[in-house]
Amino acid sequence: MSATTVVRPGPEPGPAVPPPPRRRRGQDDNSIPIEYYGLRRGTVTAVTTLCVLFALFTLIPIAWLVINSTKTQANIFESFGFWFASPFVFGKNFALLFQNVDGYGVYFRWFGNTVLYAVVGGGGATALAALAGYGFARFHFRGSRALFYLVIAALLVPITAITLPLYLTYAKVHLINSVWGMLLPSMVSPVGVYLMKVFVEVSVPRELIDAARIDGAGELRIFFRLALPLMVPGLMTVLLLNVVTVWNNYFLPLIIFSQNQLYPLTVGLGLWSERAQNSGNAEIFPLIVLGGLVTIVPLIALFLILQRYWRSGLLLGSIAN
Amino acid sequence: MNGTVAPRRPLPLRSLLVQSAWSRRRDRRGFWFVAPFLIFFVVLLLAPLGYAIYTSLYTTRIIGGTTFTGAANYTQTLQSGEFWSGVIRVIIFAAIQIPVMLAIAFFFATIFDLGVAKYGTLFRTIFFIPFAVPAVVGAVMWSFLLEPQFGPFVHLANSLGFHGTDYFSSGLILPTIIVIVIWEWTGYNMVILYTALRSVPRDVIEAAILDDTPLWKIIVKVKLPMVRPAIVLLVFINTIGALQLFTEPLILSYFETQAISVNFTPTLYIYNTAIAGGQYNLAAAAAVILGVVIVIISVSSLFVRRRRSEV
Repeated sequence: MSATTVVRPGPEPGPAVPPPPRRRRGQDDNSIPIEYYGLRRGTVTAVTTLCVLFALFTLIPIAWLVINSTKTQANIFESFGFWFASPFVFGKNFALLFQNVDGYGVYFRWFGNTVLYAVVGGGGATALAALAGYGFARFHFRGSRALFYLVIAALLVPITAITLPLYLTYAKVHLINSVWGMLLPSMVSPVGVYLMKVFVEVSVPRELIDAARIDGAGELRIFFRLALPLMVPGLMTVLLLNVVTVWNNYFLPLIIFSQNQLYPLTVGLGLWSERAQNSGNAEIFPLIVLGGLVTIVPLIALFLILQRYWRSGLLLGSIAN
Repeated sequence: MNGTVAPRRPLPLRSLLVQSAWSRRRDRRGFWFVAPFLIFFVVLLLAPLGYAIYTSLYTTRIIGGTTFTGAANYTQTLQSGEFWSGVIRVIIFAAIQIPVMLAIAFFFATIFDLGVAKYGTLFRTIFFIPFAVPAVVGAVMWSFLLEPQFGPFVHLANSLGFHGTDYFSSGLILPTIIVIVIWEWTGYNMVILYTALRSVPRDVIEAAILDDTPLWKIIVKVKLPMVRPAIVLLVFINTIGALQLFTEPLILSYFETQAISVNFTPTLYIYNTAIAGGQYNLAAAAAVILGVVIVIISVSSLFVRRRRSEV
């Protein structure tokens, strides 16, 4: 077997033909120039206007978050919501994220927890999904089809029907307030298995595996040296989806953690929102606003950096079914 | 010799034997690739589900301990008006939110696929951003924006002539949640539809253009049917999510929203029954019933779609 002969497909294969003239910026290859559609004049302007409106709808809450993270408690409520107000206290608010305000917990402790849960949980889920997806796509063992359908059917199970019994079981085996109680369930991703199976089917040719077998390569070696490099775009997509899922998970940690030093960001921010209103202690509002901003920045950055991967990987969505 | 059969070079017997041995071994080895996931799947998903069903058949009382009560928890849940009003509420929510969201997502996916809008890549990236925002943060942001006393959107409604608008009132709370969820999920659905549209063969569209087919007809009659599998998948996935609505109403309820009762959605009902009420057996029965409701609605949505596409 020689892995060197395998051409690794790039995440986005370039156009095979020279680009047609007057290509619109930002348009992928293989597009039909819009002049051929016979559009009425003004269509491009009208459509672009609709895009601007929806972009405003999308960005307004985030803009509000950015602007108000620089404000004091009083100004969040009293000043105009979509412009800055003095005093500018972003630095002071940011420093408070490192402190235990009102004894509910330290924001950056929650941030660290979230990173741990997302990296270990999401990474573990992706590794398991890659192995299982490859197994389902390229082998036919007894009951493999039935097993695969069982995994897909698990999508229908309500999160409460899994989380509540987990909580009851944790109480018996002392996993309440244990990091493992969060990490282990995060590693089960039926969607990941489904996506990896579809991706292996289209990107790892059966003939290649057979050729490697004839050359005498072991199955594990074939998987790691031959199949895995071909699966990279799909792996990145599944990894991103899994990391986001764990990063955004709220129900499981809400149920299983009672010590605030174990909370992820979602539960911490939820707790702050509840306390700020119900206990009358409203001094936490600037922290909720800035905390929300710091929560979303890493994920948005991650998506922008890895954009080319999820775009090619999400092609699965079109092949699916 | 029979002339119809071309003489084939006989395969050496040894390679045949090796090959069949391979395929047999291959079969068994495939299981070992799936096994690690399967262990997690069984221990952390199937076993808890089984335990939920098991607990739902028992009742724990302070005096008398845990006793087998059969279907008692199920009868109690099925007769609970609060549980059913929650179920009906999330069904209404799903019936409005999912079609509206998919229509918007399909519209923009088509725009970007055709390349009709300027700066398409930039807009596509912007629309996808909310996917990276946790539901908790999304709900908190919108709560601030819509808050009846100081929220900027209330000022906006006032200046437009809608005085005394309360987005958190019982009449507007469901539309408010629908807007928040549309904000969160449209971009993700749009990207999946966009990638599906990209894979429609170019020559099909070219042929339609050469036939002088108007653009709207190409979109509705050619492109839409070809991405139907992706749409069915999205309807299915979004339905499962919508019926389990939880985070947004819970966070909104923290902002002194009287319109959101503790049993606003079935998942909130289960959460409150278990965590605040401590009635785990009853909550487990409600979770199982919710699971059955999800199976019936999401699977039947698949069949309705399929039959319609066959006609």
